[in-house]
Amino acid sequence: MLIFTLRRINLFIFTMLLLTLLSFSLSKLFPGDSLINLSGQINATAEQRDVLAEAYSHNDSIIHQYWAYLTHLFDGDLGLSMASHLPVSSEIMNLLPATVELSMVSLLIAMAIGIPVGFIAAVNHKKFTDNAILSIAMIGYSVPVFWLGLLAILVFSIQLGWLPSAGRISLVYEIKAVTGIQFIDILMSDNEYKWQAFQDATAHIIMPACVVAIAPMTIFIRLARTSMMEVLDTSYITAAKAKGLTFWQIIYRHAVRNALINVIRHVGLQFANLVTLAMVTEVIFSWPGIGRWLIESIFQRDYTAIQGGLIALSSFIFIVHIVTDFIYAGLNPLARDRKHGA
Amino acid sequence: MARENIYQEEEFPSPLLQLWYHFKEKPFIMVAFGCFIALILLALFAPFITPFDSSQNHLDHLLLPPAWNDNGNVSYLLGTDKLGRDMLSRLMHGASFTFGLSFFIVIVSAIIGVIIGSLSALTSGLKSSFLNHFLDVILSIPSLLLAIVIVAILGTGLSNTVLAIVVVLIPQFVHITRNEVKKEFSKDYVLVSKLDGASSLRILRYSIFPNIVEKIIGQATLAQSAAILDIAALGFLGLGAPIPLPEWGAMLSNGIDLFYIAPWTVYFPGIAILFAVIVTNLVGEGLRHALKVRKTS
Repeated sequence: MLIFTLRRINLFIFTMLLLTLLSFSLSKLFPGDSLINLSGQINATAEQRDVLAEAYSHNDSIIHQYWAYLTHLFDGDLGLSMASHLPVSSEIMNLLPATVELSMVSLLIAMAIGIPVGFIAAVNHKKFTDNAILSIAMIGYSVPVFWLGLLAILVFSIQLGWLPSAGRISLVYEIKAVTGIQFIDILMSDNEYKWQAFQDATAHIIMPACVVAIAPMTIFIRLARTSMMEVLDTSYITAAKAKGLTFWQIIYRHAVRNALINVIRHVGLQFANLVTLAMVTEVIFSWPGIGRWLIESIFQRDYTAIQGGLIALSSFIFIVHIVTDFIYAGLNPLARDRKHGA
Repeated sequence: MARENIYQEEEFPSPLLQLWYHFKEKPFIMVAFGCFIALILLALFAPFITPFDSSQNHLDHLLLPPAWNDNGNVSYLLGTDKLGRDMLSRLMHGASFTFGLSFFIVIVSAIIGVIIGSLSALTSGLKSSFLNHFLDVILSIPSLLLAIVIVAILGTGLSNTVLAIVVVLIPQFVHITRNEVKKEFSKDYVLVSKLDGASSLRILRYSIFPNIVEKIIGQATLAQSAAILDIAALGFLGLGAPIPLPEWGAMLSNGIDLFYIAPWTVYFPGIAILFAVIVTNLVGEGLRHALKVRKTS
């Protein structure tokens, strides 16, 4: 396990290095002056520019420039947003938790529904249930997420009036942001209307989270189905059958646990896909997350924001990736001592 | 009378023909395949067969509902949008953009990805490890975010989004080619060619590619449905095709303002995207299944 941890940490450092390199080269690739792109101070006077050039070692070699960029990054300084003139890091701290919340809830929904349904499909392999589940999964996988979001708003918000169509929480409730994750903040706050606020926040998150969850859910259905079918083919299941266990005993005690391991392994890879969907969904549901902010930054030519958002979002995804790797290794001893990582 | 021929079949079908036999076994897949061909033809010939020009305004027929509605007009079968443009013509023409371009994107990125992937499979040690990690980084960035970054560098527009999606899809092809080539290289039949003195490139061309081409095609169909969705998503966000072009995603976002009054301007482009993606996925599924059956039979 120690070697495994070291390997993962090594991978993490390497990845972050590459990511910062990518983001640094973006400042050169974006239109305009790279110094302005890095710092975001569009209206800098000549003197301020000199100070900035000094701070970012702009007149030295490119390696010095990269090093200066890294030091700024470690100090938490991602420059100023070109559009709002606020520090990008503080904007990200405000926005990233909303995206984390949305994507985590969607991941939970996708896994909680997708995996059991996939198991059911595998158990009923080549029967009507299996075919029906697979066909529905195919449609769910193909549906464009922005269209689904619009239809959901039309049906559940406008026609039925059950759920709010935009935002994270009604403006009536004033919740002090401590962690940024709204549900934790609500539970931590000591208002008398805590539970109403909690219900309101839940009503706001249900629709976007379900819309985001649809496509990953169908992928989980397929993954769970394949892995369950593989497990049911193994000889230890035959052995369990020979021992005289009933079908459901075999499924509960042996098959589900082993099949789950293989599904968990793929969660990390699916997560990048899920965040992509979340970014589009944030636009439709006016969810105050980092995806909507990034898409708006393109129209405002806010290059500092794009660089900062790229780093923040990718590192979030990568951290989730590594955490699922650890969970997988913790559950599956066979994965721990593989010779070659990744 | 003794049979002259010891084989039961008169002639043994070629691998491609076998694939076709397995593929056409499922009627459902064949329906999808027919739709797929129809979409390809539509993408090629749409500008010639649309009833109206896709950007022609019919100012006396603004927001006309589809023909089955009481207020509809049968010469505008699917109604018109807020500028009086015929929806059917726009949807047909949109097939060349959303569906047709996805073909182009997948072919270009598959060629580049397979070349990089197979060359990288031949390297080892530090270079290979660096490339592996680099791919991991790229794959961990959400495809849309990467596309957004590329669009931010190049500026918005249809050709830039196409380029962005090509770049986004390449790593997947590199990844799968690399893994498959490495797997095949450790097999015994490659060792035979090696002992015969074949160079690595020759082994790659004559021994390995025929065996991994199916995996790459499988990935290509997945990539195509992803490409359709990506083109439409970028169009919807206003980063892709400019407004007058009848790209399905852009059409959809164009109709949002009047969603409640004229829902058909949003329903139909969405259904068109859904239809194209389902058909692509079904054909891909059938192809992968046929390849699997051919391999085991």
